[in-house]
Amino acid sequence: MCLRSSSYTSPKPCKHLADYKLRHAFDGYDSLQNCLKTTPIGRTRVDNHNTKIPRCNFCNGYLGRLYICLMCSSISCSTHILLHTQSKSGHDVAIDIERSELYCCLCCDQVYDPDFDKVVVSEQIKGSCPGRSNKRRRLDSGMELDLKKSKWLIAMRDGRAKSCYPLGLRGLNNLGNTCFMNSVLQALLHAPPLRNYFLSDHHNRDECKRRYGEKLCLLCEIGALVSAMFSGDRSPYSPAQFLYSWWQHSSNLASYEEQDAHEFFISVLDGIHEKESKVRNSSKDDGDCQCIAHRAFSGSLRSDVTCTICGFTSTTYDPCVDISLNLDTVNLSAAEKTGLSTLSGCLNLFTRAERLGSDSKLHCQNCQELRDTSKQLSISRLPLVLCLHIKRFEHSLIRKTSRKIDQYLQFPFALDMTPYLSSSIVRSRFGNRIFAFECENSDSSAEYEIFAVIAHSGMLESGHYVTYLHVNNHWYKCDDAWICEVDEGIVRASQCYMLFYVQKLLYYKANKDLSCNASVESR
Amino acid sequence: MKHSVNRPPTPDAAEDQGKEPTLQEIINIKLIESGEKERLMELLRERLIDCGWKDEMKALCRAHVKKKGRNNVTVDDLVHLITPKGRAYFGHSKVVGNQ
Repeated sequence: MCLRSSSYTSPKPCKHLADYKLRHAFDGYDSLQNCLKTTPIGRTRVDNHNTKIPRCNFCNGYLGRLYICLMCSSISCSTHILLHTQSKSGHDVAIDIERSELYCCLCCDQVYDPDFDKVVVSEQIKGSCPGRSNKRRRLDSGMELDLKKSKWLIAMRDGRAKSCYPLGLRGLNNLGNTCFMNSVLQALLHAPPLRNYFLSDHHNRDECKRRYGEKLCLLCEIGALVSAMFSGDRSPYSPAQFLYSWWQHSSNLASYEEQDAHEFFISVLDGIHEKESKVRNSSKDDGDCQCIAHRAFSGSLRSDVTCTICGFTSTTYDPCVDISLNLDTVNLSAAEKTGLSTLSGCLNLFTRAERLGSDSKLHCQNCQELRDTSKQLSISRLPLVLCLHIKRFEHSLIRKTSRKIDQYLQFPFALDMTPYLSSSIVRSRFGNRIFAFECENSDSSAEYEIFAVIAHSGMLESGHYVTYLHVNNHWYKCDDAWICEVDEGIVRASQCYMLFYVQKLLYYKANKDLSCNASVESR
Repeated sequence: MKHSVNRPPTPDAAEDQGKEPTLQEIINIKLIESGEKERLMELLRERLIDCGWKDEMKALCRAHVKKKGRNNVTVDDLVHLITPKGRAYFGHSKVVGNQ
């Protein structure tokens, strides 16, 4: 019988477990079989068939981790389990009651034994068997266990492996040309830092009302939205309250006219920031601001303006919450427009050295004269969540009209921003010399993963926005009230207007009020 | 399960029998006995995954194991490491001692 698949290796047993196995073989495990109980969700616990709940022999506690001794069935809590093994020689191995896992009292650590797992797994299968699903094969309890098959069956029974949509996906009703709002909300509410912030109740609505009264708070509204989206209710939600609050905040945009999604995005971030700075009475510049909008989206752009005569460069830094990119095929003649327009092309365009026209000469500090200059942008600090806005409108000054550029733009799902960092750009300017860079955050990675795409279809004055969300390795199209799963090809072929990427290695800065210092690795 | 003949006496438990169980204890016991606690725990587990808590705790554990070496870390170490951080993850909530 095959016990191990090639990709999985069982940890070696500690010497106490090995001793126990030598002395008692399967005796303890066999008698355990009658005491295992599997919950419908798939967790197996040890149930002694007592009417009373298990309590520690030493302190009578019933909370926390409780262990049952394999030798004498006495129960101890994690604090007192060591006492038990010290008072009884040979009583080294116990089982975690809640989790059905082996624990070595002397090593103070969880230990593993494939034979034990086999017993637990066979009980789990038995427990799930009787007529729960006609799709699943009936197992004869006397049947020989194939560990591989049983592992697969366990995975099938995981309550979370549902065929329905993951939690958090919920349609938003269109309240009158509000697809611009719905599309941005879908993207924002699924941005990991924002989603986590609101789901872990960092902005507590009751406390906010208590402290600041019933005044309109955009953070509260977003919190209410997040709660609604993640409530499990799949019926489309009407974000009327949020719309009303936003109208109060951006009264110049309050109308039922169609609006620009990017403009709305900026205005929401602004609203969040405003509330936060009122709360903290701080007027920190955007770079250091700790409001959730800035913590998630704030990055820093570096601008180098170089005198073409003497080479003197003046450098400035500006915070930004997103990057607006021109399409890389704009301004090319018809003959030049042969290639495909790509995101890296747009980013290259954004960071290339641009000679400013001779009608816009700037004063050079070195030359003390107006000179022709060259300007180059680069990213000195990358944000946690990178929002890339594709400028799909063209203003013709001659004809005094604006039109939409429908040009298809190819974009990647995984994005490496290293070539656009200040370090890379400046280095390449001088033939790849080694430079020390102050402003760069060496801890954060330049690798990003896409999680949302806002696509636009139609004309400048009248069109429609939809959002594609990447959740649990599946793509979902959010078209106002309608959510459906789509193939990634659909997403790639869409006309992207705003792209949302999140850092593969998220890095949360330590903050006194809020959560802890941690490095989060994505799977 | 084998029952040892020489089962140790339950020293402190006998003393505590005299104490009246608090309301919190009574509720907790009723929840466990009725099976509702298990349902609540399952819901809690789901929510903790959704808000990113589980990912963060997992990452903290990974970082610790990386630092100390795979064979030098015990379950107890990890529990002591992440318990305060796990509680601190949530904003304004005050956690009543439960473990």
